[in-house]
Amino acid sequence: MNHESTPEHLGDETLSVTEVLFSTGNRLRSIAARTFAPTALVAILASCATNAPQDTWQPKGPNSEKIDNLQQPIFAVAGIIGIIVSVAVVYAMWRYKDRGQPIPEQTHGKPALEITLTVIPALILAVIGAFTFRVVFDLARTDDTELIINVTGQQWWWEYDYPVQNEWGITQPIISSGQLVMPAGTKVLLRETSRDVIHSYWIPALNGKRDAVPGRIHTLRLEADEPGIYAGQCTEFCGLSHANMRMEAVALSQEDFAAWVANQQAAYQAPAEGTLAKEGESVFLNQCVRCHQVNGLKRPDGTLAIAAPDENVWAGAAPNLTNLMTRNTFAGAMFDLLREACRDDVWNASSAEFGGKYLAGVDEACLNVSDLRAWLRNAPAQKPMYANPALLAETNGKYRGMPNLGLSESDIDKLVAYLLTLK
Amino acid sequence: MFKVGSRLFLGLTGFAAVNLVAYIIFVERLAIGGTALSLVFAALAGLAAVAMIVNEGDDEAQPREAALTRASMWPLVTVLGLVMFVLGLVFARVYFVLAIVVVLAALAEWMVQAWSESASDDAAHNESARRRLLHPIEFPVIATLGLGVVIFSFSRIMLAISKNAGAVAFIVFAAVILVAGAVFAARPTLKPALVGGICVVGAVGIVAGGIAGAGSGVRAELAEAASEGHYTHRECGAEKSKYFDKKAMKRLSLRSNTAAVIELRDGKLSALVLGFNEPQSVVPVPRANPVTFVFRNFDAAERRMVATLGTAMAATATAEAGKDAHGGKNETCTQLIPNGAEQGLTITYNKPSIAQDEPFTLSVPGLEGQSIQVVVP
Repeated sequence: MNHESTPEHLGDETLSVTEVLFSTGNRLRSIAARTFAPTALVAILASCATNAPQDTWQPKGPNSEKIDNLQQPIFAVAGIIGIIVSVAVVYAMWRYKDRGQPIPEQTHGKPALEITLTVIPALILAVIGAFTFRVVFDLARTDDTELIINVTGQQWWWEYDYPVQNEWGITQPIISSGQLVMPAGTKVLLRETSRDVIHSYWIPALNGKRDAVPGRIHTLRLEADEPGIYAGQCTEFCGLSHANMRMEAVALSQEDFAAWVANQQAAYQAPAEGTLAKEGESVFLNQCVRCHQVNGLKRPDGTLAIAAPDENVWAGAAPNLTNLMTRNTFAGAMFDLLREACRDDVWNASSAEFGGKYLAGVDEACLNVSDLRAWLRNAPAQKPMYANPALLAETNGKYRGMPNLGLSESDIDKLVAYLLTLK
Repeated sequence: MFKVGSRLFLGLTGFAAVNLVAYIIFVERLAIGGTALSLVFAALAGLAAVAMIVNEGDDEAQPREAALTRASMWPLVTVLGLVMFVLGLVFARVYFVLAIVVVLAALAEWMVQAWSESASDDAAHNESARRRLLHPIEFPVIATLGLGVVIFSFSRIMLAISKNAGAVAFIVFAAVILVAGAVFAARPTLKPALVGGICVVGAVGIVAGGIAGAGSGVRAELAEAASEGHYTHRECGAEKSKYFDKKAMKRLSLRSNTAAVIELRDGKLSALVLGFNEPQSVVPVPRANPVTFVFRNFDAAERRMVATLGTAMAATATAEAGKDAHGGKNETCTQLIPNGAEQGLTITYNKPSIAQDEPFTLSVPGLEGQSIQVVVP
């Protein structure tokens, strides 16, 4: 302490500057201790959560199993080393803290100790490296692929397209978004890329993460042991709504997957004349088809309605809404299309029952109509997006996300009725 | 309690807090900058707390008679940086950014020097403390800057002299560096001043050569090639650019960004698509996203690959060719390439296949009845 700063005593009741500062320091230490302890406790308790669909410690497929088998022992070794180092650091900080003692004699070099402390970590890292390389190469294999799905990221949703693969009954490309549907027990290869910035695809229960980079094609193996839904999250910061860029992988039995494929390739069924849904189709043609494609949808003059997201959206694409109601989510998997009870019914279904419940899709009774209506009413209010027409100079007038279309409540009624027919 | 170390970090924490508040008020509350400044504030506050707890950076317990200060150039550099900062605001952004770097570096050096000079009564200890703190930063930065200048100067020399002279120069430079390195290693007793002097003379020579090279401009063929769009040139006609890059196959980009490799082998056209174990006749590509096809010719004759781009405006090629150049057809193509060569073609398909009357295809003129279909969902 700098005693030169201590003022003259002004009286018995007056604290010196030194005493005030010392008292303040003690209070700060006390506050720090009281803050740190509960924070650490919360962090520890958080690891005990059971409802954690993105838990990396609960593998649900052979690829994630390999990662888990690698990370468990590494975590144990690293944890032990971490504890030893932390204790040593804290002990050294406390034991040798400045108590006004003179600076000790400075020495340099102790070869035996330094070599030992270099060789031991090197050996540990070499062993870890050997096992890690083996897993890395295993996870990079593409020669045993059974099904290929192209995955394209953009702000802030994922597009899935299934190339023609006759052995799976895919005779024409299938395009979807939000939920990746795949057969369980099958080696699926994702071919990832991006239309705008770098994203990262991660379904923790099925494999590690892989970046989707514009101009490059990266591969990622997925395989699920059992039918079910597996949640994921974009893990590369990609702009305003990165936190809302979610994804779900849906694994179906092979029979159920075949049924899903057949339904996705079925011809478009226009709503019956005179229905609210038919009016909704007109609204869709006027408002939505500028960006959103519905395969088979025709204009009143009989020509195919071809969406032009490349003219309106910065990424050049918007979700294809063909068979929208066969998915359980919308808006980059941020919102559920199913009401909570129906959603829980699907998510908590047993493996045997899951396929039937998932393939039932969304009907009027189960539709999460409030979120869907709110989205149609004013999408940017539901999910942060660059959708203000006055602020699009940087993107040549193109949107990043869905703009507020200014739809009337009547048009929203019609659109909801129409969207419900897209199964 | 409030020693040198903690006072430093508390001051920086306060500075970060002021910046954060100013940013929130005057710029934007939810911007990334606000998040970054918040993290800086939190990190500095944490360091301040640690410094207070462990009394780090306190040498004031040592009795001393007077501060052992010495002359410093950093105030001058700081002022020069501030002048450059103002000029950069007016004239050019590059000076503005450079000035920020200069000012921050000078302030850091100044601050550490001032701290070290009052750390103790022992001037040698003070200087040692300064070196230990700054040398791990100074040496890499100075080395990077120095090497950058040398490398940039060398590149100017290589662009100015002819191809053959460039190859010779490269070999000579490399040999000189190798020999000098070997001599220095073999003679560890050489005076550091001599080694340093030789290195400085060599670097100055390269920089002088670079200045001369930049002054004389690039060699004639590069200037001419650049004027005719050498690097983006594509032709579907029989004529070829004088400066057609026959070694385009060596480009790394062709390896890292390939939607499919289209091979012509034994008179058969096939597509190798990453993930598919067998050659394909249909290639899936995403809509509205640039994709690159690599064409490999294993035919005895020179061949090119032609891509049909569908109806007008359905697709755009990154290359300059297309549309009107080919008898009104909406297509683009690679150069004629010889046996064993390969070339890339980058295309963006903005509309889906269902919007076309005819499918998107990749074909090779003269190879009738064969084509690869490109499917855009």
